Formats: sequence, C-alpha cells, structure tokens
Amino acid sequence: MTAKRTKYHLILRWIIQIFFLSLFIYSFIQTRYGIAVTSQNIFLRFDPLVLIITSIAYRTIITAALLSVLLIVGTLIFGRFFCGFVCPLGTAIDIFDTISNHKKDIKLSLKNGKYLILLFLIVSALIGSSFLHFFDPLVIFERSLTLVFYPALTYLISIFAIITDAVYIETILAFIVFAAIIGLGILAPRFWCRNLCPLGGVLAVLSKFSLFKFSFLQGCKSCGVCTDICPTSAINFQEERIDGAECIDCLRCHYECPHNVVSYRINLSFTPYNITRRQFISVFGAGLVAVPLARSLIYQRLEGRLIRPPGSIPEPDFLNVCIHCGKCMKICPTNGLQPCILEAGINGLWTPRLVSRIGGCEKNCNMCGQVCPTSAIRNLPLEEKTYVKMGTAVIDRSRCIAWEQDKVCLICDEACPYNAINSLSETVRESTLLRPFVDERICTGCGLCEARCPIEGASAIQIFSISEERKKTGTYITEEKVRLRACEDKLEDIPSGFIVE
Amino acid sequence: MNRITRRKFLKLSAGAFVVTLLPKPLLSGEQKVINGPLIGVAHGEKSKLVNAAVNAIGGIEKFINKGDRVCIKPNISFAANVDCGATTSPEVVKQVVQLCLDAGASKVIILDHTIQDATLCIEKSRIEEAIIDDKKVSLLPLTKERQFAEVEVPHGEELKSIKVAKAIQTADKLINLPTAKSHSATGVSLGMKNLMGLIWNRGYLHRMNLHKAIAELATVIKSDITIVDATRALTSGGPGGPGETVTLNTVIAGSDIVAVDSYTVGITPWYKKSFVGTNLKYLVAASDMALGEINTDKMTIKKVEV
Repeated sequence: MTAKRTKYHLILRWIIQIFFLSLFIYSFIQTRYGIAVTSQNIFLRFDPLVLIITSIAYRTIITAALLSVLLIVGTLIFGRFFCGFVCPLGTAIDIFDTISNHKKDIKLSLKNGKYLILLFLIVSALIGSSFLHFFDPLVIFERSLTLVFYPALTYLISIFAIITDAVYIETILAFIVFAAIIGLGILAPRFWCRNLCPLGGVLAVLSKFSLFKFSFLQGCKSCGVCTDICPTSAINFQEERIDGAECIDCLRCHYECPHNVVSYRINLSFTPYNITRRQFISVFGAGLVAVPLARSLIYQRLEGRLIRPPGSIPEPDFLNVCIHCGKCMKICPTNGLQPCILEAGINGLWTPRLVSRIGGCEKNCNMCGQVCPTSAIRNLPLEEKTYVKMGTAVIDRSRCIAWEQDKVCLICDEACPYNAINSLSETVRESTLLRPFVDERICTGCGLCEARCPIEGASAIQIFSISEERKKTGTYITEEKVRLRACEDKLEDIPSGFIVE
Repeated sequence: MNRITRRKFLKLSAGAFVVTLLPKPLLSGEQKVINGPLIGVAHGEKSKLVNAAVNAIGGIEKFINKGDRVCIKPNISFAANVDCGATTSPEVVKQVVQLCLDAGASKVIILDHTIQDATLCIEKSRIEEAIIDDKKVSLLPLTKERQFAEVEVPHGEELKSIKVAKAIQTADKLINLPTAKSHSATGVSLGMKNLMGLIWNRGYLHRMNLHKAIAELATVIKSDITIVDATRALTSGGPGGPGETVTLNTVIAGSDIVAVDSYTVGITPWYKKSFVGTNLKYLVAASDMALGEINTDKMTIKKVEV
C-alpha cells in the first residue's frame, strides 16, 4: 500500500545524512598541516552542549562556540532536525542499525537517561569539572576519526603508497566508546540518541517548545502504523500525541501514514517531563562524587612530563575548556601531540600532550592553536608561539653518549632550532671533547632534541615541565626572551671535527 | 745469490743522487697535476654559477648520458628559511635540474631523508621551485624504512652494512648537491656529510666514530659529481641554524668528493677561524682510505668569474 511512497522520503533523508557525514569527514581530512584553518572545526563550534557545559565549567562564555546559538534557534523553530539529518554519529548509528537487522520488538526505553546525563554534566560543570568529552556525540565522533579510523586508514594506504601514517598511544579506549555507542543499536534503533545522548537532551528540551512539530490532523483511524515505524518511539497513536522532544523529524510518519493524518505544522502544545525527584537527587549526588574523584592531578606531579601544546591555558581550566576532540592531534605534523591516558588524571583522558620522543613541536607551526574549537590552545601568531616555554630539556649525562661514551654526537645541538644547546669542551676522565649543555633560558621545551636523540629507548635529553608557561591572556614575548633569542652571548666552541694545532 | 758489491752500490747511489738533481717538473710535479682531480669554481652572478662551474670541469655531458635516470641529493633536511643557509638554495637546485634535462636525462629525482618533518622542510626550503618539468622531474621525500635497502660496506671498520635509499641504487647517476654550512659535530657539512641524507638510520653513525663512518659511507654511496652551493654559507650555528650566514656567490663542482670538500673548507672561515681540508677529521679519514685528494696543491682548480 505504501511501499512505493516510502522510498522517496527515506532516500531523501539518507542523501542529506550522507551529505553532512561526508562534510564532517571532509573537514576532518582537511584538518592537516599546510591547509589554512578556516572552517575545519565548524561542526564542533555548532555544538550547543559544548557552549553550555564548557562555559559553565570555565565560568566564561566560550566565544568560538557561540555559533551554536544558530542551532539553538533552529531547534526552537523546527525541532530536533539536527539529530535526524545532520549528526554524523546519528548517521553512523543509522547505518549500523540498517545493516544489523536487529529485533524491533525489544524496545528498551530509558527516555529520561539523556536528561539525567545532561543534568549530570551541568551539575558537575557547576561544581568545577567538565565531563563533556565522554558524552558529546560530535566530540566522540571526531575523536574516533582521529584516534581510530584515520590511523587505520593511513596504515592501509601506506601498504601501497608512501604516506605519513598517524600513530597514537591510545586508540583502544576511544574505539571501545565508539563501538559501544554504535553497538547499543542492537537493543533498539538509535538507542544512544533516544536514551543517552546529552546533546540530544539539550535539543529535546528545546524542541519541546519548538514552533513546528509533527502532529495529528483529524481523521486518525488508530491503525498504529506510525507508532510501529517511529525510530524514536515518539508517537502515542491512542492519545494522538507526538512528543516533540523525542521526534527527530525523520518524516516517516508523515509519509507512511496510510490515511495522511500526520502533518508538520505550527503546534505549541507541550509534553510534560516525568523526571522523578529520586532521579534528580541521584544525578546531583553523582556529580558531587565524580568531580572530586576526577580532579586528581596527582599523576602530573609524579612524572613532571605532561607537556601541553604551546599556548595552552593554565591546567585546571585547560581540562575544562579542552573538549578532548583530538583536532590538535590530527593536525600536528610531527605526530608528537598524543592523547593522554592517565598522565593528566582520569578526566584528562584523550587530552593532548606533547610526547617529544615521537615528534617535537616544530618551530614553524602553530596549527594546534589555529584548529582548537574552544581556544583551550590559544591561537597565537607563529612568531609568538615560538616564544612559549612549554618546558625545559634536561640531559641525563649517564645515558648521553657524548658525556658517557665520548662519542661525537651532538645531534641535540643540531636539532635545536633556538640554539638552546651549547656544545662546549669539557674534560671527563681525562678526555676533552665537546659535550652538550642546555641553556634553560633559551630552551622552549619544543622537544625536537628529544625526538632525535640516537640512543635506544628513552632519550638522553628529555623535556620536563620545568618553568612551563601557561597564560590565559597576554603575550608570551618579553624583551628578555627576544634578547636571549638573538644568542649574542652564545657560547660556542670549535667542533671536535676540526683538528686544531 | 746476487750480492751487492761496493762498486754496484756506489753506482746506484750516484745515479740516485743525479736523479734528485733533475728539475722538479720532470720528476713528479706535472705528472701529479695531470692526475690530480679537477675542480671547477664559479663566482659571480647567481643564475649562471652552476653552468659555469660544471663547464669548467668538462660540461654536464661528461657526467650525464642521454636517457639517464638522475638522482639529485640537495640538503633540505631542516625547516629553516632559505636565507639562513641550512638548506641548498632552490635556485641552485633548479639550475642543476635544468642541466640534467639539457643533457637528455629521462628522469630527474630530487630526494632527501629530511631531519625535520618532510612537509615542513619541503615548504621552507622551497624545493618545489626546482620541479620545472612535471613529467620528468619529481620530488621524493625519504620517510619510510622500506624506501631503503641494506648494503654491505666492504672493509668497513665502523660500518658493516647500512640501509641506503633504493632510489639511488636503481638510478644511473647521482648528483650530490650540498650547501656549505658549519656542523656542530663534524665541523663542516659539505658533500660527504650530505650523503647521510641517503641512509635510513642517520643517528646510528653518531654512535660510532662519526668521522670515520662518514668516510666509509662515501665508499658505498658514490656520487658522480658533487656540486657545493656556496652562494651563501652558514659559518656557525650549523647544521640547522640560526647562525652566522655569509654571502659568497660561489659554486664548486668536481667529481672527486674529497677534493671538492677540501677545497670548499678553505673558501671561508668557519666559527671565525680559517681551516683547510687537512684540519677536518672526516676528510683526513677519507684521504687515508684513498677516497680522494685532500691536498689543494695537488688539484687542478679552474676558477671562473661570471
């Protein structure tokens, strides 16, 4: 009866969904060194959840995310269209749901879950920690692309062609989160979107009040087709009511109703919430417990090797403003920016950290700051970025082959683009040779030396967060630094490659 | 048994004495000038330097045949501005590429195993300006271990075997195109040091006797011609800079890599001191291994002003 009619609107929706998914992936691929950052982070800046939670946790409006006001207004007019048409994670879930042929009669519903998670995020942000990165669908999708799919893709391509493949320390947890969310589709279609997604929660709250809603016209024969096909169980055909908060504007009921009684029109009716006081109090309690537990920065103290990207704002704020999306790690040309595992505490999982042994911070690059959607890494001009002190290099003389084995190495001196390493004649056990010394006043902690130290395993020159500079505002350039950078009083001995009479 | 009598001894001694009295050219001087390596030195207008220097040593046709696949190894290992002198200037590379194409090379491959990130090095060194013919000229950044193949080092004391870029193993000719710069470990970085950009594990050489290892590397990687870009020289702070850069507007060419390096050492002071080839440990090691001529007195140096 309706088989032929169903196709068009379904195809239309697929086309729009695939279009936005492709756009998301395209802007992801375009996030790389050498391509100016224009709109590569636009999806994340359209995310109202980022705006709300991050701004609360930081106690300052995140201006870059103000674009999401457009989505808020759009939702107030049209409802949760974002979930049904735009959200890339939603599309990925739809694809999985279509392929996996799940049993439709298990319709486990935890509708309030998304509000409770949203409430938990708001409460914990108020108390002082943002847990956004564990729940925001756009962040999860972006991070999964960076840490899981892109490395896999580059590896496969590199079998056939010479390309730089991305490698990350932590991929498996990111993959588990992604797989779990997609896999929940086995319980019910779009299980994540309906029951857990806090961005869906924000949009659902808004679309309860949206101007346009799908609603019943006169003449319903109570056949129940609409309730059966609705992917979010938003329709109660007996009461002839469609919950604007649950409806993702997928159009199925409108096109597939055998009697054409579902229509999209101005409707100001409102479906009430049914969150119990008990649920509300539990969530509040969860926030109270989670924040103090996750704020522990003890790991950072233990190692002193947590080097943040250049221009990162001070640490407690950084953890709240950084949405852990992985854009900076994707764009870092040396692959040196890596996801933290526990180095910054539990809540620092997937935050960027410069692992210099893998790759240092190139002098001529400030891409991480350019691409950061929330300015957790400030967008500093290239010149200023070179003056940011991320840490200081420390030479372990017992492992350094120039110190310990009298080798003519000095690769660290060679690698340093700031002339912060002085090669000076030094007599050790009666043998006089050039040995490396770090001028900690000039060293920026970029780690290019650590990356190239030729000994096996851990480098003999390592970056520690000694005299690390983190500023919320203001310039990193000082007269003192400029004077030192000129290296006018630089000590330099004749290299030992010369035979001097 | 053939005993030496007193008479025989006196005769021989007298003969030997007479020989020592002969004018020098008859003895060895001229002979050595003819056998000594030929070095072409061009100074002056930047755009003509490569052509002039190569012509001084017999022209590019002497080195490149029609249809040859030619590899050019500039030094683009650092993401530093071209003016700094840490990398071969793109103008010079371009001239060399043009010469190769003029000589009928079927393919010109510009390659380097960069020290810093390849993308940044390519951008900063402006090397892509040298790709003057999209079909024949290509740029090959060496970034993957599988672009290299193990090569034995015969009689190597420091190096037993080393992974060398496959591209040069399959090419017909190799043009070594270093820039003249100082080096914190080896003193200077010229032709022989530049060859380290054709091996996979460069750091490995620093873990042995570096000077000797560099000389031994030159026994495995043999460049057909070495052209030193001394349009400017980074005379301190090398190899990555920043440091002192002097303008010399000179290009030195020759097929004897030791001779070219040795001559180039003398053209400018390094670290504010004057040196000659025999002051450099790696050149002495190379000379001891008979890889080439270290003594500038024994070279034929053709200087050209353009």
